[in-house]
Amino acid sequence: MIVKRDEAAGGETVEALEARQPFRFPREMVIGLLALAVLWEMVSMLVPPFVVPGWGRIFRSLAGLRLDFVLITLARVVAALLISFVLGLGLAVVMYASAPFERYGRPIVRLFMAVPVVCWILFAVLWFKWVEFRIAFVLVVVCAPVFLVDVLDGMKGVSKDLRDMLRSFRPSRTHFFTKLVLPATLPAILTSWKINLSLAIRVVTIAELVGAVTGIGYGLVVAQELFSVADVFAWTLILVVILFLAEALLARVEERVLRWRA
Amino acid sequence: MKGAGAIEVEGLRKTFHQTGTGEAVVAIERLDFVIRQGDMVAIVGQTGCGKSTFLNLLIGLERPSGGRIAIGGRTPYDDFDHFRGVLAAVFQQDRLLPWRTAIDNVRLPLELLGRDPREQIERARAWLGRLDLARFERAYPHELSGGMRQRVALARAFAIEPALLLADEAFGHLDEVTSAALRRTFVDLARMEGNTAILVTHQLEEAIDMGGRILVFGRPGRLLADIDLRTWPADKVGRVRADIQRMMHENQPDPQFTT
Repeated sequence: MIVKRDEAAGGETVEALEARQPFRFPREMVIGLLALAVLWEMVSMLVPPFVVPGWGRIFRSLAGLRLDFVLITLARVVAALLISFVLGLGLAVVMYASAPFERYGRPIVRLFMAVPVVCWILFAVLWFKWVEFRIAFVLVVVCAPVFLVDVLDGMKGVSKDLRDMLRSFRPSRTHFFTKLVLPATLPAILTSWKINLSLAIRVVTIAELVGAVTGIGYGLVVAQELFSVADVFAWTLILVVILFLAEALLARVEERVLRWRA
Repeated sequence: MKGAGAIEVEGLRKTFHQTGTGEAVVAIERLDFVIRQGDMVAIVGQTGCGKSTFLNLLIGLERPSGGRIAIGGRTPYDDFDHFRGVLAAVFQQDRLLPWRTAIDNVRLPLELLGRDPREQIERARAWLGRLDLARFERAYPHELSGGMRQRVALARAFAIEPALLLADEAFGHLDEVTSAALRRTFVDLARMEGNTAILVTHQLEEAIDMGGRILVFGRPGRLLADIDLRTWPADKVGRVRADIQRMMHENQPDPQFTT
């Protein structure tokens, strides 16, 4: 009998094989983005700078921005995502354990998901006075249902074959959950983190437009009031880079945590 | 546990109701037989004769619609937790947890029993060694061949030293050589450990190859014959095989094999 591992490298560990894989330069991505940047620069030469500023202006704006705002926005996103995850996971576990709770709860969650973000922002402004709470409220109310639905679907998707196998060994309820349901749901959990991370970064800037005196959203408001298109582009660039970095980080985490996948 | 693996089946029935129509479907019409502690039994029958349903009732995953099934005097569905560490099953698919390495898959039932972590590792390692998998204890299931994965599943079942071992079409889907080798391993280990062992299969050759008692199931879930091959002279086994084939084909019992 031959094992894939044997075929590959005479019994070496998977980790060793992974470690030997050379870094692949993302050539297509870099060329595509560079082409866009060149096109941008060419357009900036043809139109006034208050419409499309050149890269020189944008980088000068970048140097002058309050970079502490980036950290503040990131802190808001991370805190709200953690709260949303705990809340979403907790409710998913309860709904998984109790069918009636799920039957009554699902429509409410769907209702929450159908409400546009801008409406949640208006509710937050009308209901709450404290700005940080407003922002956290909007982020949690948008992200927690995504965690809940994705994690619950992941839990319910555990194959009957595996559930029957484990049940044949008579696990306790806790063991059934910790040894089977939770690890089997890990791919769904990571997917929901990926979805929510980009969602939260886009939503937090809108939430910060209303009432906040710190953060990237506030920075965008100031840029708009000063008619500084270069500043708006600089903030946008920062947001896009944050999103790319966060996605790359999650992809690394996923690769590591889900290395058991074929 | 003395007698812990003895099985009594009396007037056992199982009916399912179809989703939507609610129509009743009889999976097991009536079964009556006894399996003694330490016996090795093959259950053979065509698709739809209730073999897997019977196994699910035996494992305790389903409740009988009527009659009684008991292991060591207790019912597996109602006394579900009593059978923790008493029975183990090997299924058609290996059903290994893909996120666990081979050794961690073998450890799984020992973790459920709350065994000391050092003992879990030692025992899992010993069983992997007995099944020629010592070199692959750190491999994930997707890195192993089908036969190796099934051997890990065997090690997982044997690791808790159960009184009752069940195999549900566990070897038939593999190639002939691997299948025969695994079946032999299963039988030898079960004999060595003194387990009661039940092999469910639709392949008559597999059942005969075990060389023990054969229960022939007919549709829907009834006993066509109860044959102990050890009581038949070797030169008569060919005739017995032909008789079983005929019974399975005609779905009719043969009085010479009815107890």
